[in-house]
Amino acid sequence: MRSFGKLARWTYKQWLLAPLRCLLLVVLALVGAVLAVLGSVLVAAVVTVPAIIAANRRLAELGRRLSSQWGGVLIAASYPPFPADPVRREDGWYEHDNQLYRHPHVPRFMRRSASLAEDQTVMRDWLWLMVTPFVGGLAVAAPVALIVAGAAVAVMASSPAGVGGGAALAVAGFVSGPYGLRLYAMWSKVLLQPVADSWWRRSGIGRAFGQRWHAIWRGAGLAGLSLGACGMGLILVVVGVVSWGGLLPPLILLARPYLNHYRRRVDEWSGIRFESPYRPQPSPPRPEANGKYRVGRTLHDDVKSAVAMQRYGWVLKDPATWRDLAWMITAPVLSPLPIAVAAVAGVAFFGLVCQPLWWAPWAVPIGLIEGVWVTPWYIWYGVTLLEPSLAVVPSWVSPLIGLAATAVMVVVAPAVLRLRVAWDHLLLRPTKQARLAQRVHQLTESRSDAIDAQAAEVRRIERDLHDGAQARLVALGMNLATVEQLIDQDPAAARALLAQARDTSTTALTELRNLVRGIHPPVLAERGLVDAVRAVALDTPLPVTVTADVAGRLDAPVESAAYFAVTEALANASRHSGASHIAVDLRHDGERLRITVTDDGRGGADPSRGTGLSGIRRRLGTFDGTMTLASPTGGPTVLRMEVPCAYSSPRTSTS
Amino acid sequence: MRVLVAEDLYLLRDGLVRLLEAHGFEVVAAVASGPELRHALATLPLDVSIVDVRLPPTFTDEGLQEVLRARQASPGLPVLVLSQHVEQLYARELLADGTGGVGYLLKDRVVNAEQFIDAVRRVSGGGTAMDPEVIAKLLTNQPVRDPVNRLSPREREVLELMAQGRSNAYIGQKLFLSESAVGKHIASIFMKLDLPVSDDDNRRVLAVLAYLNQTGPS
Repeated sequence: MRSFGKLARWTYKQWLLAPLRCLLLVVLALVGAVLAVLGSVLVAAVVTVPAIIAANRRLAELGRRLSSQWGGVLIAASYPPFPADPVRREDGWYEHDNQLYRHPHVPRFMRRSASLAEDQTVMRDWLWLMVTPFVGGLAVAAPVALIVAGAAVAVMASSPAGVGGGAALAVAGFVSGPYGLRLYAMWSKVLLQPVADSWWRRSGIGRAFGQRWHAIWRGAGLAGLSLGACGMGLILVVVGVVSWGGLLPPLILLARPYLNHYRRRVDEWSGIRFESPYRPQPSPPRPEANGKYRVGRTLHDDVKSAVAMQRYGWVLKDPATWRDLAWMITAPVLSPLPIAVAAVAGVAFFGLVCQPLWWAPWAVPIGLIEGVWVTPWYIWYGVTLLEPSLAVVPSWVSPLIGLAATAVMVVVAPAVLRLRVAWDHLLLRPTKQARLAQRVHQLTESRSDAIDAQAAEVRRIERDLHDGAQARLVALGMNLATVEQLIDQDPAAARALLAQARDTSTTALTELRNLVRGIHPPVLAERGLVDAVRAVALDTPLPVTVTADVAGRLDAPVESAAYFAVTEALANASRHSGASHIAVDLRHDGERLRITVTDDGRGGADPSRGTGLSGIRRRLGTFDGTMTLASPTGGPTVLRMEVPCAYSSPRTSTS
Repeated sequence: MRVLVAEDLYLLRDGLVRLLEAHGFEVVAAVASGPELRHALATLPLDVSIVDVRLPPTFTDEGLQEVLRARQASPGLPVLVLSQHVEQLYARELLADGTGGVGYLLKDRVVNAEQFIDAVRRVSGGGTAMDPEVIAKLLTNQPVRDPVNRLSPREREVLELMAQGRSNAYIGQKLFLSESAVGKHIASIFMKLDLPVSDDDNRRVLAVLAYLNQTGPS
């Protein structure tokens, strides 16, 4: 009410200008609607989307400005920034989505289109343009209409009463002008304010509705994909029967990427993790003493046929292959339900509800030009053709029926999607056995990595000791022997040699200290991970903030792996990133240790380049730890490491 | 002068005791573990204690913890901490209370007996003896725009030696300067670092260490 109270303070000038402003807004609403309709036609004909959206944005911006200037309602705008322009590679090409382009226009266009497709403000602007003539537009049209009608009545009237009535109408138009402007602005705010500020987003209704609404289309999408898989499955069966199984392995391997794509979709849409269930490919056979390759009970002369035979066994003996096939063939069983839900929702909402609203822009021109008037309810008549008993319902009720049917579909869609996913879950997830096989494979790999790394480490230590401390101790012994000889004959020379011996021992100690630091840093042994990281942070030339929530000591090998991973990350960050500040966070939640290293450098770190990051991955991999790197160009770089581990003992010291 | 030695390795403990006795110290106790050290620190009248960071039974930083605890109970209790490695982290903890009588040296420094004994004397007199390696690290990790980087190279050298706890006479001798020249350099350093000037050697060193301690990265 406070906002209406403000109206009293409006100046007479504003009251007088209000009808003119209303008129301008009516024109804006009509022009906007026409442009939006034209724009949507152009988009349908695949003309440059970003340009049209930019035009729509300009109209929406105008609406916002006029709403705040004339209607007194401030509407904030929040458009996501345009994506960065594609960067020219060193070889002169432009990269986008693993494709190279000669010129930057195409990738720029694709980036913009992709970001606009996800941008909610685009649809809201569009909706505002199209619906305003029927909502906010009416609010500003009313004062104008009153004045025009009043003027007309006053001019045409023959009696004083008629003139008086016309004048009264016109005055009413002038009086209602500012209120119309205010109503227009309030309506505009509904759609033009940032999405996050809208009441349905803040109340959580928008999110709940959005999830259910998406479930309708996702269920249908999954059903469609599974029908595609069904076609593949039928081909597999036919080819398998015709070729006596001979062509099955290569075809099955061709089908797997499609199924993995399906798994990823389910992952993304249902939030249930679907891992790939396939057994890892066996390593190629090694020749035996007689130069032959053994696969099962057969010996092959050349490696090619051995590998082919091995692949045959690998694919056909994998239970996942047969579970896949069963899933493909049975796809039609559960597909009709989600597709029917989507079809009903589509016809009800877009056909029965939106079509009558959308009718005017296209049917009116057709009617005026051709003289043929299409009814706004023609979709409903289509429905009554399918079900004649519905003809008793008056056609204007059909949007309500459409809304009701949509609501029912929105309510049932999540359950239908869950049913679909449960079925997929049954057949497409790895079995316990497959999971174990994968685990064995992974453990074998990480074990051999660990053994290799350890062997290299031991070799390095041996070399350092051999060339360093050991050699110096030998020199020291020789020096002392010489001193023994000289001590009576030439005390001065003996003294010089003794000084040299002392220097040698100091150097040997320094070398040993550095070596020990590389094997297992003493601070780590004395204080544990957190303080060891603090000590490294102090020794790093950049400012490093360390925050920690680790309540005790962890197992020594995990501490060591984590420590070296952090030192490596710090070294990388201070060497390559150009950062001015690094933050390290260590946290243990009773089950896993989580380490985050963040720097404010230039980003763009690539784990596949350089050995540092892959070294971290390998170190942590030995303990089933993981490493993820997020390093967008321009920074910040965030390195996350996670290692499952338990406390070895609660902390005893007080520090 | 009554000295306590806490060191778990027999050879080193024995060597330290001999060295100290040879220089006229009275070694009142030579202990080999954390609990013994705690008991000795609490009961014996001591002029200075020489303590290894790592001690049984846990072989972690037992010695350091005992020392910190004892100094909390009686601030300024003279303690010289020895270790196979030096860490800024430990140095900062030892210096945190701002009272003197602290030493933190690599075990290697024992090899140079004269300097080691000098360090023990300095600490027992309430001064400080910081390992050159610690001071070098404290100095190199100063933020780029820090006043320390505005010092001239000579002033930096003087600051480094002073932070180790050395006397003006020693600094002059080491850098081939007259004592008055050293004094001028020190005055200039204090001005550039904006520290309160003091005639007392110990208080001066503590001011410098406190300064380095707080400005480093944390």
